[in-house]
Amino acid sequence: MSANLSNIRHTHGLDVVKPLSITTLILVMMPLVLLPLASIFIFGTSSGLRSFWNALTAPEAVFALQLSIVTSFWATVFNVVFGLFAAYVLTKYNFWGRNALIVTISLPTAIPTAVAGFALLLLWGPYGILGRFLDPHGIHLMFTAAAIILANIFVTFPLAFGVIKPVFDTMNQSLEEASATMGATRWQTFWHVTLPSLRGAILSGALLTFARAVGEFGSTILVSGNLAGRTQTAPLYIFAKFNEGQVEAANAIAIVLALFSFLIFSVLFLARDWLEAE
Amino acid sequence: MKDNIQTNQAAVSVEGVSKKFGAAVVLDDINFSVLEGETLVLLGASGSGKTTILRIIAGLETPDSGRVILHGKDVTELPARARGVGVIFQNYALFPKMTVEGNIGYGLRLRGRPKSDIAEIVNTLIELTHLEEHRRKHPSQLSGGQQQRVAIARALAYNPEVLLFDEPFGALDAQIRTRLRREIRALLREIKVPSIFITHDQEEALELGDRIAVLNQGRLEQIGTPYNVYNKPATEFVATFLGAANLLLGIVNENRFEAEDIFLKIEPDPKIRDGQSVKLVFRPEDVFLRRPENLTQNYQPLVDGIVEEVNFVGAFERVVVRLNISTRPPILVTRPKSETTVFPLEPGVKVPVGLVRFRILPNYTLASERAARVI
Ligand SMILES: Nc1ncnc2c1ncn2[C@@H]1O[C@H](COP(=O)(O)OP(=O)(O)OP(=O)(O)O)[C@@H](O)[C@H]1O
Ligand SMILES: [Mg+2]
Repeated sequence: MSANLSNIRHTHGLDVVKPLSITTLILVMMPLVLLPLASIFIFGTSSGLRSFWNALTAPEAVFALQLSIVTSFWATVFNVVFGLFAAYVLTKYNFWGRNALIVTISLPTAIPTAVAGFALLLLWGPYGILGRFLDPHGIHLMFTAAAIILANIFVTFPLAFGVIKPVFDTMNQSLEEASATMGATRWQTFWHVTLPSLRGAILSGALLTFARAVGEFGSTILVSGNLAGRTQTAPLYIFAKFNEGQVEAANAIAIVLALFSFLIFSVLFLARDWLEAE
Repeated sequence: MKDNIQTNQAAVSVEGVSKKFGAAVVLDDINFSVLEGETLVLLGASGSGKTTILRIIAGLETPDSGRVILHGKDVTELPARARGVGVIFQNYALFPKMTVEGNIGYGLRLRGRPKSDIAEIVNTLIELTHLEEHRRKHPSQLSGGQQQRVAIARALAYNPEVLLFDEPFGALDAQIRTRLRREIRALLREIKVPSIFITHDQEEALELGDRIAVLNQGRLEQIGTPYNVYNKPATEFVATFLGAANLLLGIVNENRFEAEDIFLKIEPDPKIRDGQSVKLVFRPEDVFLRRPENLTQNYQPLVDGIVEEVNFVGAFERVVVRLNISTRPPILVTRPKSETTVFPLEPGVKVPVGLVRFRILPNYTLASERAARVI
């Protein structure tokens, strides 16, 4: 279809519309996306790889990166498992309030991340609705790594579900019935028949969640306390260093995060096709 | 209409099964059995409840009442996985992420059979279904016919109590259907596994079934051999659903069918009393358009008619004839080549119309009458 479209000829001889429209496209993208990204790399390496390396291996920087990866990892594990479970339940069973649940799961997409962080504080903070009962027992959720995980779970909640649910919806129900008539228990059917068809969706759901969690800023800054070397994630580190005027330190981490997202993006792009094949 | 087969020698018995979806009665007191090694075809229009019967036998649907018995064992309460039936779904439902071998061996792996056994059985089935070249392929790389053979092999692997086919040719074009139908019939004869085969295609039913059960809006109208169901339809529905049929309204009087100027001698039938309104049912190929010279069959003259239309339809000729009285709907007659070359016909010609075979069926005009009839 699209191949045919490009073959339609509107003019004889030189077609000026084509080069013109491509140039416009690139010109619009340049200042908005391409140049900002490029400047991270240009600036970051301008004073030599040596200082870039030093900025990167500063203990606080390493800690921030590690913390981001670990907290994002656990948020991803939770949201993928939960998303899978929620998609299964909401596809298999029809019950009153089903649609309301689907909407609720998707809701965090629409909530500003700062609001999400604030809401968590109001619930779990030392004077929060639940937190005030935990506080006397010495249980403090807020301003710890756990708070970062909670915030990450909240803001990335719908992502894995959103990728997995449509695959469930289009999955042929007779596959599971066939498996049952052949002697499989519900669990065997899920493991041997349902799950293999979800591999692609699970991988992309996980990568999306992880990428989003690693970059999370708005909610994290509220709930983590932003303590360098303790609860400071990579994006918070960038912000803090920039505020302190240490632009090179901020830039080194920015480069790592940017490269990281390129990587995830490429894996998503390539693995999808590879997993869907057969 | 209950077939007189003892439950204990049947591979499958469905006894008094009824099912409603909401307020809609989808199955109404269904009774039938399938013998060991037999193929029963369930024939019915779309929405008549065929798939529902099959799903109830497989355990994918629960009947509101009635029982399902497999080889003498009441399985009505058993879940699908414990019944050991083989279902060939309309779209085959092959597992897309498993190879042909993986699909065929799945039922055996679930049963925890040793690897060497599985490999051996899978090999035998791959040979039986001629899938040697395709064993390592995934379902999406196979043609419709090949997928179907995988579906059958997959169901055969674990020695199913019965094979259930839900319109397995539905998605294929006419030519392939005919070929696959032959293949399946040969396979079913070879493996001798009792089978229930669903279709809405009468030709398919006649060719595949050892017996045919005709389903109409959730009720079983007739069950019998293809010959009997075709030639001795028990109801008007069966007569018209299996092939074309001409219908003439009349009454019975002293072992005669009477309709104005038409009189036919009929066999006495205890179910039909004198003066009862009936329908004369006859197939287009059972009509004769000339006086027979040496016909030894039970030829009976009907009345004269005028030829209205003559069409060649491939192997035979289709003739539309209007019987004597002009208010009657015209009847349809088919004639083989041997007839058409010797006695050519053209529109406007007057012909004597006679029958070599016909049925007299009660004319149920009221639904309550029909429901109350003894079957
Ligand atoms: N799960 C269900 N819920 C409600 N109604 C159903 C359900 N399954 C089937 N029906 C209804 O029951 C009737 C019989 O359905 P069934 O699928 O058994 O028909 P069928 O003879 O197999 O038709 P087809 O030839 O179109 O496949 C139909 O009217 C259908 O709409
Ligand atoms: Mg059906």
